[in-house]
Amino acid sequence: MKLSKTNFLIGIVITVAIVIALVIILRTAVTTDKKTTIGNIFIYDIKEFSKTDPNLIKYKEISKIKTGLQNPYAITTDSSDHIYVTGDKSIKIFDAQGNVLSEIKLNDSPQCLTIAGDGSIYIGMKEHIEVYNPTGKLIKKWNSLGQNVVITAIAVSGDNIFIADAGRKIVLRYDIFGKPKATIGKRNPDKGIPGFVIPSPYFDLAVAPDGLLKVVNPGLHKIEAYTFDGDLESSWGETSIDIRGFSGCCNPVNIAILSDGNFVTCEKGIPRVKVYNSKGIFDSVVGGAESFADTVGIYNPAETKEDSTKALDVAVDSKDHILVLDPVEKTIRKWIKNIR
Amino acid sequence: MKEEKDKLSRRDFIRSGIRGASLLGLGGILGLFYNRARASDLVWQLDPYKCIQCGKCADNCVLEISAVKCVHNFNMCGYCRLCTGYFNPQPNALNTAAENQLCPLGAIKRNFVEDPYHEYTIDESLCIGCGKCVKGCYSFGNGSLFLQVRHDRCLNCNDCAIGRACPANAYKRVPASQPYLFKGKA
Repeated sequence: MKLSKTNFLIGIVITVAIVIALVIILRTAVTTDKKTTIGNIFIYDIKEFSKTDPNLIKYKEISKIKTGLQNPYAITTDSSDHIYVTGDKSIKIFDAQGNVLSEIKLNDSPQCLTIAGDGSIYIGMKEHIEVYNPTGKLIKKWNSLGQNVVITAIAVSGDNIFIADAGRKIVLRYDIFGKPKATIGKRNPDKGIPGFVIPSPYFDLAVAPDGLLKVVNPGLHKIEAYTFDGDLESSWGETSIDIRGFSGCCNPVNIAILSDGNFVTCEKGIPRVKVYNSKGIFDSVVGGAESFADTVGIYNPAETKEDSTKALDVAVDSKDHILVLDPVEKTIRKWIKNIR
Repeated sequence: MKEEKDKLSRRDFIRSGIRGASLLGLGGILGLFYNRARASDLVWQLDPYKCIQCGKCADNCVLEISAVKCVHNFNMCGYCRLCTGYFNPQPNALNTAAENQLCPLGAIKRNFVEDPYHEYTIDESLCIGCGKCVKGCYSFGNGSLFLQVRHDRCLNCNDCAIGRACPANAYKRVPASQPYLFKGKA
């Protein structure tokens, strides 16, 4: 029986097809990862959001200053670039190089502080203000600001003292004698004021070079600009875990303002320090989550028992150096702009 | 003569011995009952401050669906608009769409309270105690969500299978009269 040419060709085609199919099947079996691409849906993992694009980092860390405090909590600077850190019922004062200049012992744990133009040190305790002169002598202790007060930030501009009260979710303006002048930020839909949303006790403020009071509204992921009389002028901030936005229940936790009006922001959850321009447009990253991986870090109780509620604080000096208070490392970490 | 009177007779000695042994036996029986009663008054519970949200509570309970459930301390909750225990890390929008929810079982219910506050409640019939929401809440927020052994379903095994597997040694016996270990102010 003679094989026809057509049948011969069909046989070759079928044989080749079978060989190719076998090769594909065997190759797939050998090389394909047998894991599904879905992953374990029962595991909470935000590590993928903690990677920072190196092109966005425009600052470099140049030094660290050990605070010597067990629980450093807040940081600020004065016009001489001296650095003030609160913690352990005291205030430690450093020069710009990190040498300890003095230490002021207090009766209670300070929550925040700021330095007035004349060098007076304004300290916010839980519900009252204490004023010290530059040598550390108590000048004045204000009366309690009231029940349910939780002071988290304080700023001085001229004769005005601004106090952030996270307990009652308002900002209070006082004169330097402790006389109340205005209440700022109370919810008022008619005036377009949304009211402060403060799920955890982080509620910061600062006075900007444009003369407006900038207040963080952490629950709304916004920074709001108010006149000293309490009119809301503008706000900015985007809710997003992306590097350009703020995420979690309440971010940013702390802010500082550079000499050009740009903002430095600190976040918790995914700890990162970023710079936004004066209009709130994202500019750059100072330190991404990688910079704090071994300190504040991302919450991972299986690896560390570190308290995830500890948050970074930030201050800037006259040269626009950025000083980040790392409460876990207990250091002041200094960043400068990376000029390429 | 007096010496004779003070001397213990054999009969008295045996009688006293029997009395003493009876009292000892009675004490032992009472002690045994007390211990048994005390043991049955203890139940297993998970210390929320030791819990590391490893997920083993969901897998290791002898029950088909774990007796461990997420519970919520409303006193601690911030009633957040963006609850990181409810939403996945990068939600499309802050609404109740399934793709935005962190819980794989959809066991957390989000109810509007007033702008911008929302209340989050746990549907225990859906919760398997994986702790994913607990970790999400604590990563960014106050940690008001936490895991507890629910005693309406726990079998109170002598040797808790989850406790044996717990890498954080977070399981312990607590009095049945106070069977829960709350975070913050309960």
